[in-house]
Amino acid sequence: MPSLASAEVSPPLASRRVQLLLVAAFLVWSVVEAQVSPRALASASALEGLGRLLRGLFPPDTSPGFLGVVAAAVARTLAIGIAGTVLAIVLAVPLGILATPTLFRPGALATPDGPWSGVLLALHLAARATLRVFRAVPELLWALLFVVAVGLGPRAGALALGVSYAGVLGRVYADLLEDVDPGPGEVLAASGGRRASLVLFALVPQALPGLVSYSLYSLECAIRSASVLGFVGAGGIGQELQLSMRLFEYRQVSTLLVALLALMLAGEAASRVLRRSIRSAPVEGGSPLTGRRRAMLWLGTLAAVGLSFRGAELLGGADEGMFLRLGRFAARLFPPEISLGFLSSLRVPLLQTLAVAGAGTLLGGVVAAVLTPLASTGLMLRAQGAPGRPGPGGLFAPAVHVLARLLLAVLRGIPELLWVLICIVAVGFGPFAGVLALGLHTGGVLAKLWAEALDEVAHGPLEVLEAAGAGAAVRTLWGAWPQARPLMASYGLLRWEFNLRASALVGFLGGGGLGLKLYNAIQLGFHEQVSTMVLLIFGLVLVSDALSDKLRRNWLPPATLRRETGPALDAGLAVRAGGLPA
Amino acid sequence: MTFSLRGVRRRFHGRAGPVAALDRVSLEVAPGERLVVLGPSGAGKTTLFGVLNTTLRPSEGTVRFEGQEVMGLSRRSLRAVRRRIGTVFQQPRLVPSLTVRQNALLGRVGHWSLADALRSWVRPSGEDLARVDAALAAVGLQRRATARADELSGGEQQRVAIARVLVQEPAAVLADEPFSSLDPALRESMGELLLGVAARGRTLVAVMHDVDFALRHFPRVVGLGAGRVLFDLPTAQVTPSLLEQLYPRQVAERPVAPTPELGDAIACVR
Repeated sequence: MPSLASAEVSPPLASRRVQLLLVAAFLVWSVVEAQVSPRALASASALEGLGRLLRGLFPPDTSPGFLGVVAAAVARTLAIGIAGTVLAIVLAVPLGILATPTLFRPGALATPDGPWSGVLLALHLAARATLRVFRAVPELLWALLFVVAVGLGPRAGALALGVSYAGVLGRVYADLLEDVDPGPGEVLAASGGRRASLVLFALVPQALPGLVSYSLYSLECAIRSASVLGFVGAGGIGQELQLSMRLFEYRQVSTLLVALLALMLAGEAASRVLRRSIRSAPVEGGSPLTGRRRAMLWLGTLAAVGLSFRGAELLGGADEGMFLRLGRFAARLFPPEISLGFLSSLRVPLLQTLAVAGAGTLLGGVVAAVLTPLASTGLMLRAQGAPGRPGPGGLFAPAVHVLARLLLAVLRGIPELLWVLICIVAVGFGPFAGVLALGLHTGGVLAKLWAEALDEVAHGPLEVLEAAGAGAAVRTLWGAWPQARPLMASYGLLRWEFNLRASALVGFLGGGGLGLKLYNAIQLGFHEQVSTMVLLIFGLVLVSDALSDKLRRNWLPPATLRRETGPALDAGLAVRAGGLPA
Repeated sequence: MTFSLRGVRRRFHGRAGPVAALDRVSLEVAPGERLVVLGPSGAGKTTLFGVLNTTLRPSEGTVRFEGQEVMGLSRRSLRAVRRRIGTVFQQPRLVPSLTVRQNALLGRVGHWSLADALRSWVRPSGEDLARVDAALAAVGLQRRATARADELSGGEQQRVAIARVLVQEPAAVLADEPFSSLDPALRESMGELLLGVAARGRTLVAVMHDVDFALRHFPRVVGLGAGRVLFDLPTAQVTPSLLEQLYPRQVAERPVAPTPELGDAIACVR
């Protein structure tokens, strides 16, 4: 019988099978190593603990005093997000330009010019390495380090976001500047233009829409991150959540949760509207804004940034000693402790971190696989006025769809670190709590991304199938799924990269892995040990990113992926924001 | 009657209020008949096509297929109607990441239960595969059977779309401008293929730009203008003046075989 397998060229099927087997083996090992035990979840004590928690959530605390606390926390979270993004942009612009290969690697744009070209090349490589460090160290770890260096509060959060998002944005800027049409730049270079004029007059004008759009997009991501950093003490709504949770004030927790979900959904909606209005602005004939409105816009932006810096305690309240303290802390990190006893004590937590990330991603995939069909608009909802009376299934499908969407908004709206605290109530301290936490959050994010991937495929083939008599399920299976598969797989891999970063920190709250050891070392002031563990996490992330990149390249047509999704996917922005920039 | 339309209207909501894309259209198509619908862009051809293949609900009027009133049907019965109507679209609309063979196999979707659809993902039934192989042979694509659909040329893709309809084994075939995405050299051979599909007693309704081809191969012509049926005649009775009514101006220059693209351009300018 002739095979129906699709004819993809490289790499050979055999090597892809081996890779698949290796991934499967790793996942199985993760599940065992992370002590996953469904029985612990279904035990009487777990159910009782969860029941107590759920009952405790109602009614939400709406006393005026506490609502004031919530409002202040939301405002501070916004301030951390905005100030962090501005810091990130300030850092990312020079680093991104320096990291643009076409400008500094020998080629049409960068002709070797005298003694400086060697230095510039070295700077270029250093910029790329710096961006990589900024990106590869998890943002929560940055937050933790800044908390130790400059103290508890929003200032640490803003600095952490600044550094972490500078890594992401710098990479995105460099990609965008590299991808522009080289023609205009080559013309300028051929007529003796300096590098600075190439950037200003050839590269930036072409890349500008992307630069602006991605900067706004990262603002959306940063506000979401800002609500999480508080769990390690970096201010904002996360800090309040963590506090209320620890004090068993579950009624306060539910108020804060509602605020958190509202913040997330409002942020997504605002960012969508903003980006759409920028995109639809006429390109020719200058800016659509008249002088006065433009001035208002700039003033408003400036005021928002100023207020945010104040709210994040970077202005006004900032003491001159901050940089001194930062320097002193950095000095104390050296040299990293490398005694054999200490290193061998890291083996178990390290493996546990890997296992928690692996099993958590797997669980997330399973949760998402169940929720994705229910959350897919194309599968569950019929176009208005489409012919055909709905059967009994079609009548309650819209209700199921809405419920599924609501469920996954809650799953992804609750940060993984809060899930850790909730899961500890059910299954106690340990890696299984970490797995559950990562799995539930990832399930919500992936289900949203996967459903969108399914719904946004080319519609032509679906219409053909509909005209030939296919129902919604068959249309999705044979029309949408084959088209969406590469993007969905890519989202899964990116989420694994993201979860590895998170799993290094879940132990901080009792979810197993390196986090607990990190917590102890910080509490006891063993800074040399802290720096060893930071290096270890950094190395782990680098290796895992490289491996997952290789998998992506082997399994998916890279050209199509890059064309359709842009640099957001490469830099992992999409999985942070819960979607690609529309 | 294979198709029977009575007083069909379809309104869309335009910027300046409702626009009628179809206005009191009545049409009877007997089993085995071959009929072509001519008309300039914006005449409502594609809307008519959507009503005929039951994916578009008319605002008023009745649509019957093989004597059965279509629009009151449940989704399940509607699917049973649709599997008896094969469709060739303007664009081939293949699933790009599937193979040629898989795309041809998709002609069977209307015949499949959900379980069949899942099973076919792993291993299609022998009968389905036999149909696919015969259809690919009929359109001359056996050798490209395992290629990905997006590796094919435009002409090859449209041949796969025709193979898909053959695999569907419908009672009637609808074709919406099936060659407009192809270059002229390919149109004639593709036309032969399409007429071949309609052999064996199948009804064929084609919506077409190519007046020349239409008059040579179809015994019955329906002229559609501004959403109304302007004429519905045997081909022998179609006069240049009727065509001029359909495609004003340019017929005067080339009375017998007007270039439809030019006609459309003029129609759009007005």
